[in-house]
Amino acid sequence: MEERRAARDGHDDHDRGSSHAPTEPDARFTLANERTFLAWNRTALALVVAGLGIAQLLPPFPGVPWGRHALGIPLIALGAAVSVISYAEWRRTQAALRRGAPLPRSVLPRVLAGTIAGIAALSAAVLLVSASR
Amino acid sequence: MEQLDPGLARERTKLAWARTAIAFTAVGGAILKKEPVAGLIVLAMTPLIWGLGRFVGHTAGRPELQPRRLLAVTVTVVAVSLLAMVIAFVGHPPTSLRDLLPLHG
Repeated sequence: MEERRAARDGHDDHDRGSSHAPTEPDARFTLANERTFLAWNRTALALVVAGLGIAQLLPPFPGVPWGRHALGIPLIALGAAVSVISYAEWRRTQAALRRGAPLPRSVLPRVLAGTIAGIAALSAAVLLVSASR
Repeated sequence: MEQLDPGLARERTKLAWARTAIAFTAVGGAILKKEPVAGLIVLAMTPLIWGLGRFVGHTAGRPELQPRRLLAVTVTVVAVSLLAMVIAFVGHPPTSLRDLLPLHG
């Protein structure tokens, strides 16, 4: 049934004990990959809620009328980006699992840390500007 | 390698889907108060995602369906974030094409 995939693969010496489809990874790895994807998407939704909260619930910064949007909208956009990237990474990891290759490193932790640090710096800047006005 | 019961992994994965469905409820609830229609639309995503989650472990015979289930999650999250962006920008969900123009006065 999986002959097409096996022919493309070439070497099947990474069979993890499943008696059929040698290139279909252990269900536990596939499920772990799926759970990772879902966890990233929950993180994405949390970013959306955070961005929405900042844009809608905070009182306006005195002197910086665009302040809340400058902080909230990048967070929402980051949420969308995290979701898209997590799907791409799910696919790459699934392909690596099938080949028995080492799993690719995720770029998401760095993206998340960098963007959030940037938004935090921007928040400090907005606060400083609004305090001086 | 130990042959642990994959049933436990399936159960954890089902729970992960449940948590993801509930995350949509959180976003919908956050929108609901100010924008009831948009909030209800996002809340309606919860049962959709819940439904997708019920197929954990059942696509083993058709692995080609897996990417579509997960892609559906990404599409939904991106759609919700776009809706949230418009609401954040304009203060209400898009009621006309003008709201979607980037430079809104």
